[in-house]
Amino acid sequence: MRTYVAGADVGSTTAKVVILDGEGDIAGTSLGPTGASIVEAAQRRFQEAVKAAGIDEHEVEFVVGTGYGRFKIPFGHTQVTEISCHARGAHHLFPGTRTIVDIGGQDTKAISVNELGDVADFCMNDKCAAGTGRFLESAALTLGLPLEEIGPVSLRAARPLRITNVCTVFVESEIMSHMMKGETVEDILRGVHNAIAGRSISLLRRVGINPEISFTGGVSRNVGMVRALEDQLGLRVNVSPLSQFIGAIGAALFALERARGGKLVAAPVEGGT
Amino acid sequence: MSDEDAGKALQKRLLGEYYQSLGDAGRSGQKVAYLFVPGNVVELLRCFDMLPVYPEINALQCGIKKMAGDLILRAENIGYSSDVCGYVKNDIGLMLSDRQSPFGPLPKPDLLVCNYSGCNTFVKWFEALAHFYGAELFVLDIPYLRERGPSTADIEYVVAQLEELADVCARTSGVPFDRERLKRVTSLSYAAEKLWVDVLHAARSRPSPFDAYFEAVFYMAPLNILRGTEGCVEYYRLLLEELVSRQKEGRGPVPEEKFRVVVEGPPPWPHFRSFWELFKRWGVCAVASTYSKVGGLFDQGVFHDPAQPMESIARYAMNSYTNWNLGLRLDLLRQYLREYEADALIIHSVKSCRSFSVGQADFRDVLAKEEGVPTLMVESDLADPRYYSEAQLKNRIDAFFESLAHRRLVGG
Repeated sequence: MRTYVAGADVGSTTAKVVILDGEGDIAGTSLGPTGASIVEAAQRRFQEAVKAAGIDEHEVEFVVGTGYGRFKIPFGHTQVTEISCHARGAHHLFPGTRTIVDIGGQDTKAISVNELGDVADFCMNDKCAAGTGRFLESAALTLGLPLEEIGPVSLRAARPLRITNVCTVFVESEIMSHMMKGETVEDILRGVHNAIAGRSISLLRRVGINPEISFTGGVSRNVGMVRALEDQLGLRVNVSPLSQFIGAIGAALFALERARGGKLVAAPVEGGT
Repeated sequence: MSDEDAGKALQKRLLGEYYQSLGDAGRSGQKVAYLFVPGNVVELLRCFDMLPVYPEINALQCGIKKMAGDLILRAENIGYSSDVCGYVKNDIGLMLSDRQSPFGPLPKPDLLVCNYSGCNTFVKWFEALAHFYGAELFVLDIPYLRERGPSTADIEYVVAQLEELADVCARTSGVPFDRERLKRVTSLSYAAEKLWVDVLHAARSRPSPFDAYFEAVFYMAPLNILRGTEGCVEYYRLLLEELVSRQKEGRGPVPEEKFRVVVEGPPPWPHFRSFWELFKRWGVCAVASTYSKVGGLFDQGVFHDPAQPMESIARYAMNSYTNWNLGLRLDLLRQYLREYEADALIIHSVKSCRSFSVGQADFRDVLAKEEGVPTLMVESDLADPRYYSEAQLKNRIDAFFESLAHRRLVGG
């Protein structure tokens, strides 16, 4: 019988599940909004991923949960933080990775890893969601554009604006004030992307910018953000089509280690969050 | 009663009596002096029978007792900004609430002794209280320390100010200055300080018999509130006995000591227990901390000296942790990491406190990047419960110890 393991990454915005086979190849994936119920979201994604892999739930030997909802995943055997999972996942897809920038719904993380993909150091944004994926979502909403269009639109900017305020609460008034001045949507959006890239790079500097750099998390699907980061870093960044799944892939790789009889750092006893 | 209970019971009784005396101050007619914890000159004030009140300690008590949030809002209601120190706003809030602390009513000040000027906020804090209460304010100008010392000139400069303060105290209290009494008080301080250093050094053993951050911040209370009294000496004698017996039995604050850490920065008082739990669950024990030194760097050889009472008070006043420049503080962290064989450094940065938080990012840079010390920096606040985000703190703390544990597992 073949071995299957799963990684479930339940983030603040989306839930992702990846099924790996015993060789570490992806057998199935599923992604959807987290919504109000972490348990339901995790379960639904798990069922879908299992279906996509063409297997039964009971064939999945070991499940590692990650993301903010990791302790609420009912079928998870253990939990690993998304910091370790992103490191492991990015290193798996791009073995030359030494630095990771992960921009998710509410968090931006800078992680430095060693040649094995183990976390050497990390830094995260302050408590507020300024400069995270949530800011881009709010900007898209304010401008009446679908989220997936803002990146490509930003690339058409002629004179990118200099935007300093990336506060998610005040995004509407910030953007409206530029619109009132007659600035174009393209220039505003490029300014927004540049501002977020700038904040992320300051986090990266704290852990040290060592190539190769891999860009993970939902925001890495945004071509405007990839360009803004590369321009400001003066370096190419690795982006995978599976970027949103990297945390779940990392979790599944930890599960695979465990299924193969390897040791895994046990999550401490949960005292309730 | 076990030794453990004896120490705790004595602390409870002594602090109970202290707060009782504060409640009685109006009736007893005893004069009240407000002062700060870092480098304070309480020994001098005791010679004039003045009752010391420590607004910082009241603020932290309000934090622990979950009163800080409402008190801070009261201060904000009269115009204090969200960026102002949480302790200040807590104290202003207490004043606006008839000074009803968790331990009963607090007396108004007759004299405000700003004994530490390295924190600009302290000066502004007491200026505000002087305005609100119409009380006399005495600001000691304490030279900042840029090297171990201080110099003779600095000591003379502070002693001259202490003589001025003694005149003010004599005038306020009507009690003449008795220099022999100052010798007796400083000798009691010295006795307690010596015992406290032995307590701190107990954390060198494996496992450490106590948590030198989460427990030490309670153990240090008598030294900060009752220094210069006999009860204070007795407390540390009992505490040391208790820790020695724990040491013999190999007992520590966590069932299994897995990680020994040095902690920099004050704790988030309104969420003290839950913050501690985030570390305990990983088997983390703090073996040294800088916050437990805000009331004195006794373990660095800074003691009160009955042979030179005024000079030793001056020396003590300048050697408060936050009055040390960043180079000295960094050296102290290095010393603790080495001396207590710590695995990592934890920095708790405080949003509303510059005097502690300035330079912490640089500590992290130097120690983590240049010297390879695993360092975790987290942020919340010492008094304002709004700045505490448990899910995010937990995520960072879990990730940090997860990677430390993993490195051990793979032998890295």
